[in-house]
Amino acid sequence: MVTGYGPVERLVRLWLPVGFFLVLALFPFYWMAITSLKPNSELYNRHVMPLVLHHPTLKHYIDLLTQTSFLTWTWNTMLVAVVSTAISLVLGVMLAYPLARMRFAGAGLIAMTVAAIYLVPQPLLFIPLADVINRLGLGNTLTAVILTYPTMLVPFCAWLLLGYFKTVPMELEEAARIDGASRLQTMRRIFLPLCTPGFISAGIFAFTLSQNEFLYALIFLTKSSVRTVPVGVIAELIRGDVFYWGQLMAGALLGSIPVALIYSFFVEHYVAGLTSGSVKG
Amino acid sequence: MRAISRRGFLELAGVGATTAVIGPLHASAASKSLTVLHESSFIPPFDEYIKTTLAEAYEKETGVKVVYEVTAVGSLPTRISTIAETDTGADITMNGLLQVIQFGEKYLDVTDLCKEIGDKNGGWYDAGREAVLVDGEWKAVPFCNIGQLMNWRTDWFAEVGVKTFPQTWEELYEVGKKLKANDHPFGFELGHGFGDNHGWLYPLLWSYGGAEVASDGKTVVIDSNETARAVDFARKFFRDTMFEDVLGWTDVSNNKAWMAEQISCTNNAESILWFAKKNFPEIAKVTDQAQNPAGPRGRFHLLDSISHSIFNFSPVKEEAVAFMRWLMDPKQLGGWYAVADSYYQPLLHGYDNAPMWQVEPRNIPYRDAMTTAHLPGWPAPASRQMAESVAKYIVVDMFAKACAGASTKDVIKNAELQLKEIYRAV
Repeated sequence: MVTGYGPVERLVRLWLPVGFFLVLALFPFYWMAITSLKPNSELYNRHVMPLVLHHPTLKHYIDLLTQTSFLTWTWNTMLVAVVSTAISLVLGVMLAYPLARMRFAGAGLIAMTVAAIYLVPQPLLFIPLADVINRLGLGNTLTAVILTYPTMLVPFCAWLLLGYFKTVPMELEEAARIDGASRLQTMRRIFLPLCTPGFISAGIFAFTLSQNEFLYALIFLTKSSVRTVPVGVIAELIRGDVFYWGQLMAGALLGSIPVALIYSFFVEHYVAGLTSGSVKG
Repeated sequence: MRAISRRGFLELAGVGATTAVIGPLHASAASKSLTVLHESSFIPPFDEYIKTTLAEAYEKETGVKVVYEVTAVGSLPTRISTIAETDTGADITMNGLLQVIQFGEKYLDVTDLCKEIGDKNGGWYDAGREAVLVDGEWKAVPFCNIGQLMNWRTDWFAEVGVKTFPQTWEELYEVGKKLKANDHPFGFELGHGFGDNHGWLYPLLWSYGGAEVASDGKTVVIDSNETARAVDFARKFFRDTMFEDVLGWTDVSNNKAWMAEQISCTNNAESILWFAKKNFPEIAKVTDQAQNPAGPRGRFHLLDSISHSIFNFSPVKEEAVAFMRWLMDPKQLGGWYAVADSYYQPLLHGYDNAPMWQVEPRNIPYRDAMTTAHLPGWPAPASRQMAESVAKYIVVDMFAKACAGASTKDVIKNAELQLKEIYRAV
């Protein structure tokens, strides 16, 4: 805590560093916002100060919303991110709970394997997965990505939740068992409610990963009507050697709003989830 | 009936239930349907025209539904790789630079179809043949070239007394020196983009008599006096006419610099003029285009062709061949070319005097450049080694390193070592 310092020291020790990191964090959003609001004539004019907006216009937003399927892509992205995150959290809990709580042969090895699976790069997997998707007849449906995203999200969620689960005192569950609760009841009524911060942090990460995913979406979703935002904006707004900067930035800004809202609503739980286990007491 | 295990039943039930909840299964390929994969066009109406006008007309005429799938710029090789490896996904694909040779073994031999199309349309340009020939077989139907030519500012050139574009590299260099002194430098890409770097550096190399490999496709010949002269020219051209940023440029950079009125000359496709006409009409008025300048051994251009291949595993090969025959008929093809102005330059002589060339006469040099256009590894035939050399930017880096200060001898030796490694197995 910064206490007992004078205003100058407080400025130097607290507000300047905070201000610096605030600018660092917000600058990309500022850049996206002013680029999306500049007319092309100003965007390409190297004689005007680029950090200041001189003649704001909503043209890029209007073009983005009327000339592309951006709203459809946003809906697709949200649907895919929400459903694949939910699937991944459920499966992640089912994988992490026994590894954290049950003693069985090979548990350590499985836990390590979970982490290793998460590290397998996507470029190694997309061709075999494409084969599976084609055999199932799921090409060009959102189901294709909803089913494939958990292949990377489940190990990630399980790995994150495993650490969180280990921080919950075992005695609480033992007390419930002594009082007559079954293992499932103990898990559902005692254990899982205590792990809400862990679910929120794993959920936010999983949501962000699936919202930003590019490679699988590129391979499995080729029709404009089923594209997600990352693939849609690149397919429609980068044409040859011309980038439609205004619309790209408008798309990037609008696309980042849902995640920013989710972060801001759950930030306390999220931080608690991330830092759990860092201090044993 | 085949017995199904409990695990198998659960898996099937799981997939079925998830699918039922989330969305409908993709309709299995109808017997009368074929899918064409294309990279999204620089000219938006080009994609719309085939999606609506042509596809609908073909379905009405034949009952075969044509699904036109557009993939993002730069993602075409990834999509073709996936389709080629899994044997499913599309029936016809577009190819960009050197993709015919990379995926040729998965493509149908369309030699007879190409001969038929050529005979009906005044014959193919040699460049068309060069772009699609794999071991003597036409593995794609050539569609067009996207030429890389000189874009120049007529008003600024006029300020130094130049009314027509210089005919040789040395003349252009002299003009460039004056323009740089007037704060109107040139801007030619020397970074790792996908086309504007190769677009002027290979033609420069050839115009001085250099090449990376001999016509046998095996012997590396980059280490020559001709290459050295080209490298020396590039160094002084960079030093005296450009600014340092170009060393890190990609393809988007010179377009941006042009619209920002930062440069007076660059090498690019028609996109600069097209975009300027739509968004910066005042700049468009003073933008003109010209063929690449000549060197001691002549004038050359890069062949950056687009072609269409039929996958040899397609269940509708015959329908795909019939569609390609129909598409390449002047009744259809003429309209498709026309909608893109002349951004896509036909590789058939039958279009040499088509009305599309009169829409924007400043684009005519792109048509005339096709007789001197070649693939990057010319005079060797297309090969995977050629594709690897391009992917590794060996020739681009040879010039760029020299411009950044390395000696001519060192950059050529370095390029030679890399090329010998690539061509060792041939």
